[in-house]
Amino acid sequence: MAVNLKRSSGEDSDGGKTSRRKMLGWLTGAGLFGSAGLSAVSNFVFIKPRATYGQPQRFSVGKPEDYPSGTRAILASRGICIIREGSKLAAISTTCTHLGCTVGAADTGFACPCHGSRFDQDGNVTGGPAPRPLPWFQITLAPNGEIEVDKDIEIAPGSYLTL
Amino acid sequence: MSRPTPPKSSLLATLLDLPKNVWSSIFRNPLPSNDLERSATSFTNFFLHIHPVKVHKNSLRPAYTFGLGLISFFLFVILIVTGILLMFYYVPSTTQAYDRMLDLRGSVAFGTLLRNMHRWSAHGMVAVVFLHLCRVFLTGSYKKPREFNWVVGVILFLLTLFMSFTGYLLPWDQLAFWAITVGTAIAGYAPVIGKDIQFLLMGGTSVGQEALLRFYVLHVAVLPAILTLMIAIHFWRIRKDGGLSRPEDADPKIAIEPMEVAATKASVPEPKKLYGFQGLVRGPLTKVGQVPDNTVFSWPNLFLAELFTFVVTLSAILVLSLLFNAPLEEPVNALHPPNPAKAPWYFLGLQEMVSYSAFWGGIGVPGIFVLLLLGTPYLDRGPKGVGKWFSRDRLLANTIFITFVVANVIFVIIGTFFRGANWAFVTPW
Repeated sequence: MAVNLKRSSGEDSDGGKTSRRKMLGWLTGAGLFGSAGLSAVSNFVFIKPRATYGQPQRFSVGKPEDYPSGTRAILASRGICIIREGSKLAAISTTCTHLGCTVGAADTGFACPCHGSRFDQDGNVTGGPAPRPLPWFQITLAPNGEIEVDKDIEIAPGSYLTL
Repeated sequence: MSRPTPPKSSLLATLLDLPKNVWSSIFRNPLPSNDLERSATSFTNFFLHIHPVKVHKNSLRPAYTFGLGLISFFLFVILIVTGILLMFYYVPSTTQAYDRMLDLRGSVAFGTLLRNMHRWSAHGMVAVVFLHLCRVFLTGSYKKPREFNWVVGVILFLLTLFMSFTGYLLPWDQLAFWAITVGTAIAGYAPVIGKDIQFLLMGGTSVGQEALLRFYVLHVAVLPAILTLMIAIHFWRIRKDGGLSRPEDADPKIAIEPMEVAATKASVPEPKKLYGFQGLVRGPLTKVGQVPDNTVFSWPNLFLAELFTFVVTLSAILVLSLLFNAPLEEPVNALHPPNPAKAPWYFLGLQEMVSYSAFWGGIGVPGIFVLLLLGTPYLDRGPKGVGKWFSRDRLLANTIFITFVVANVIFVIIGTFFRGANWAFVTPW
């Protein structure tokens, strides 16, 4: 065995043996580093949760009668603002499109306490760093007469549900 | 056949010698009284052997380093000790974390003091690590051969910031919740992988129990381990890079044979004088006694200076912790951010910047700043001006650096004093 180890040292000119040794070296290295890389990737797979816990994105917010005309009701726990104008209903997000703080009602619409983004009554950006207007969510009337909001579906600003 | 009997040792004598024998088995050397023993003390003690036996006088000048690196390290030690103690009472649960804070304050012996010490040391470490970075830059100490240690230092600074960021989620108060909401949202603006990082950090789509647990693990295990490793590398590199930087003229010029000449002489000795090859060491050859010795023994010079720094650091933290209580805001209200919602002072510059643009303020400008910092020793290759504060030879580099620092300080001041409700511009008077 020891003889074998010694033999190829100094046999650089002998292409065949050197390249076999090199080949084995490459394979060993690829195996070691490859498995190290795979372990690293599997760690990331591990810490990326498959199931997340959160609030339902689709929920009921009560009957239209609860929101008389002219209402602008912020439902803080749902992160939306229900707007009723005449027979028109809409749900606007109250999560700032800048960095995720919750906007509050202001004289001119909405204002964010974290970085000073400002929005008008319809959620359009009027100042500050917010990159997008506040999204409007799909709002439907369920068969039982309750208003249903689906935060997974954004609709074009200005599209109201007409009762 | 009779063996010579050893001198009879009584049990009493053994017991009387016990303390001395135990002591000398741990510490091989008596308190040193000559240079040989001073050397031995330095390199036979596990904790002392991290230091060189002799240290350059310039490294001991308080006005050169202000001890900032050491203070950072001692603050880190205080943070580890107080942090481990706090772990005995803390539970990373959204329902319990805040109550545990109140328990610390109300019913745990020294709970308030330990929490105060942990908080003020953390603030102090951010400040002192940054000042240390400024010192190293303004004295040109990142230059060859210390380039890589500068890079390690910049990484240590970022780790320090990340440590403090993961730390202030843990009380689960209003500051915690909204700072993490904003912080992870900033990460979400990073190109390509931003959304994935945000999801991994929060362990979900919103800040909740998963995020608290994740930040806890990062804060008490992952980041301290990385930080400790990087500190070890940082210290080791100081030794390997030739100690602290010092100006060229710190050692008076003496006639030293150029290495080539000396090496040639040494390597062509008279026959059979093989020891001549011992002369083939790196650096110019000098003869013992010919060099003006600007070094002093680490024992006691360096060690006393370190002890002094430690005592001052610990005393300062203790006094601060006795005088001022660490803030604790209202418990988390995920529905309403406080108004204005402000980060700790050292992130207010960042907050002010993201209030102009989330990407540029949170990712773009800080990213460019970090890249510039990391690249500094590889971009600024001029060998001059090492080891001197505000050297004229480094006017350009220092000016750029100071401009960045002043800009950030201005942003911090604006964010701290000139921002009111809804982040509107207000005057503090």
